[in-house]
Amino acid sequence: MTRYLLRRLAFALITLWVVVTVAFFLARAVPGGPFDGQRRLPPAVEANLRAAYHLDEPLLGQYVRYLGMLSRGDLGPSFRQKDFSVNELIAQGLPISLAVGGSALALALSLGVVGGTFAALARNRPRDRLLVVVATLGLAFPPIIVGPVLVLVFAVLLGWLPAGGYDSAKHYVLPVAALSLPYAAAFTRLARGSVAEVLARPHVRTARAKGLAPWRLVVRHVLPSALVPVISFAGPAAAALLAGSMVIEEVFSLPGLGRYFVQGALNRDYTLVTGAVVVYAALVLACNLLADLCHMRLEPRLRRG
Amino acid sequence: MLFEFPRPAACRPAGARQILAALAAALALAAPGAELRIGNGGEPLTLDPHRYNLNLEEKLLADLFEGLTALDADGRVVPGAAESWNVAEDGLVWTFRLRRNGRWSDGAPVTAADFVYSFRRLLDPRTAASLAHFLYAIDGAAAVNGGKAPPANLGVRAVDARTLEIRLAKPFPFLAERLVYPTGYPVPKHVVEKLGDAWTKPGSMVSNGAFTLADWQPQGFVRLAKNPRFHAAQTVRLQAVRYYPTADRNAAYSRYRNGELDIIGDFPPGELDWLRRELPDHVRLSPLLSIMYLVFNVARPPFDDPRVRRALALALDRQLITSRVLESGEVPSPSFVPPLVAGYQSAVRPEGPDRDIARSLLAEAGYDAENSLRVTLRYIAGADSKKVQVAIAALWKSIGVETILHHAEMNAHFAELRQGNFEVAQAGWFGENNPEQYLELLMSTTGEVNYGRFADAQVDALMARAKETAQLDARLALLQQAEVQALALNPVVPLYSVTIRSLVRPDIDGWRANPRNIHPARYLGLSGD
Repeated sequence: MTRYLLRRLAFALITLWVVVTVAFFLARAVPGGPFDGQRRLPPAVEANLRAAYHLDEPLLGQYVRYLGMLSRGDLGPSFRQKDFSVNELIAQGLPISLAVGGSALALALSLGVVGGTFAALARNRPRDRLLVVVATLGLAFPPIIVGPVLVLVFAVLLGWLPAGGYDSAKHYVLPVAALSLPYAAAFTRLARGSVAEVLARPHVRTARAKGLAPWRLVVRHVLPSALVPVISFAGPAAAALLAGSMVIEEVFSLPGLGRYFVQGALNRDYTLVTGAVVVYAALVLACNLLADLCHMRLEPRLRRG
Repeated sequence: MLFEFPRPAACRPAGARQILAALAAALALAAPGAELRIGNGGEPLTLDPHRYNLNLEEKLLADLFEGLTALDADGRVVPGAAESWNVAEDGLVWTFRLRRNGRWSDGAPVTAADFVYSFRRLLDPRTAASLAHFLYAIDGAAAVNGGKAPPANLGVRAVDARTLEIRLAKPFPFLAERLVYPTGYPVPKHVVEKLGDAWTKPGSMVSNGAFTLADWQPQGFVRLAKNPRFHAAQTVRLQAVRYYPTADRNAAYSRYRNGELDIIGDFPPGELDWLRRELPDHVRLSPLLSIMYLVFNVARPPFDDPRVRRALALALDRQLITSRVLESGEVPSPSFVPPLVAGYQSAVRPEGPDRDIARSLLAEAGYDAENSLRVTLRYIAGADSKKVQVAIAALWKSIGVETILHHAEMNAHFAELRQGNFEVAQAGWFGENNPEQYLELLMSTTGEVNYGRFADAQVDALMARAKETAQLDARLALLQQAEVQALALNPVVPLYSVTIRSLVRPDIDGWRANPRNIHPARYLGLSGD
């Protein structure tokens, strides 16, 4: 087990290095630079700016410099947000993205597993049909539609909740709801399918024949194996949710990590976009590792690997 | 801990003390010295006045710092850190007298030496100031900024603690105007030298304006608190201001409607009719010092033919575009220097619309029903801009010209223009109260931003003479001549000055519509204060 973990961690580090390298060179290969604007800068001014950010050095030298900084945990200064380092920006944005994404993930998982199980137990009855319709609708409405509608109804028209900002827990209700909806729908559909499949297995039938209470049957004999596909999907979903949703952060004026991705890319803020990629890659790797560990607990057959 | 909310205080059950505190906070909103919440259109990328680059940063910096001159609530140039100044006969030496009670927010006096340090810092190549060229008018500035001379060679000198002398390379009567920008602001030498780049952090920043930097959550908000050491602190009514980086105008509008913001500087154009009907006392429309225009690429036939350019210009109806198409109080401008520029009277005679002359000019140039003129008109993607270009295409159709519309995102659009990849294009210039800044766009020496590559020896000569002239009236007269000479050749078609659409809570006073779109927080307050 320890050897397995160490091997996975080593692979994760190599993957991270590849991602960093690709991101570093890709960002600089895109046409345009961080100091381009509507008006061209005088040559002396532009030369001063390039020197200040070491952009006048050879690319390979810049890359070695960046790897050196990265190994010390320093993501460098932001090219555009001049008063902050990338570390400071991420330290400020990540907790907000984690709070929104984590709550959305918890909400989506619990709604999905409970809803999917109920639907599977009541298969093809009206209750099940209704849940399937709701889940399909949830998938069909992405946050970019649901977000503004929630704002219009609950903030502008009813005035119950704030339309944006992050000052209190109340501010998180609408963004978490909008963000979790499509994931809750996806989890519901996944859970419904796999619970139904496990319910038909012989050991479940035997347990049922022995007269086991339905809730114990579900918790003890059905869910452990039925959750495997749900967990597989939850790994990447968690990474996507936790790293911050650009759409949700724009709609609800949340200063999370998601907008640094897009802004960093649009503004050619090389260090910011590479830093965001590093954090995102680390999150994906961590979530996948976690999902695999959960798998191994649920599926004894995987433990030998 | 991972999923903890960053502000857990609000989740705790409220005790009696918290309820009292909340009540007090609610009352404070109505009481003197409230905190205003302003949507500022985006995140400031820096609060270092010498490294700034964006208009939205100017607004914050104007609250934090004060240059030698400043803008008042109406956008007029007034004394700032300097109480008075005078200009030598030759226009080359400007002497500023600083206020006796000028203080940094840490209590240190604001001295002429601070300004000398600041101008040198702005132009020092190591500062990498992207707007350093704003002050290239100072003697030696370009050489210092280009690394060809040490900063000490800059033509700025502290005569004594309260007297500052600025020497120019050429006369520049608009210096007082130019010094209102953050590039001309002083920075506290004693703090910058000690802290380096970290001096702009909340808690570290020392400034000399009406407010100090209390907090800055990147992408969250910037909070400014009243500076009790400001020389006019007794006239400042707000205790604090929060600026929000409202990059998404739909989100900002929802937050304004929900009472979460008190002022927003932009809202979705489609909401204007509803707002005028339902919230008329919130809507503020103000024309901005700017010129929107069409530019012809005179290097490309048939636009090298002045008759073609004149015909296309004569077919356009500015009044129709502003009052029937845009409908937000835009000011039509037949001159290239917008009428909003104070102190300058354009001598360009408004002409047209006259379709008959336009048609006969086109016929002279060889275009008729058989052989109609086809032009490609490039414009910046956006709802307003599209409406205008469609109207222009319709007006040109009425003289038998076929228009192909082509749009691109703003940066891509201007990149094409700078490279001369266009026939006719929409362009705009957001300038200052200085006619030269607009007319320079038509000089052959201007380079890329003279998008149409217009060159006329007489215009160049008149502009060059104007730039050597110290006496303001004589200088303006030369500029008038240059403008008339240039526009007679129609290298551009001036259209209108844009309008800024703001929403301002009706109980806020001190917010005055002005062509600078500057609303210093030191003049704002809640009515009844």
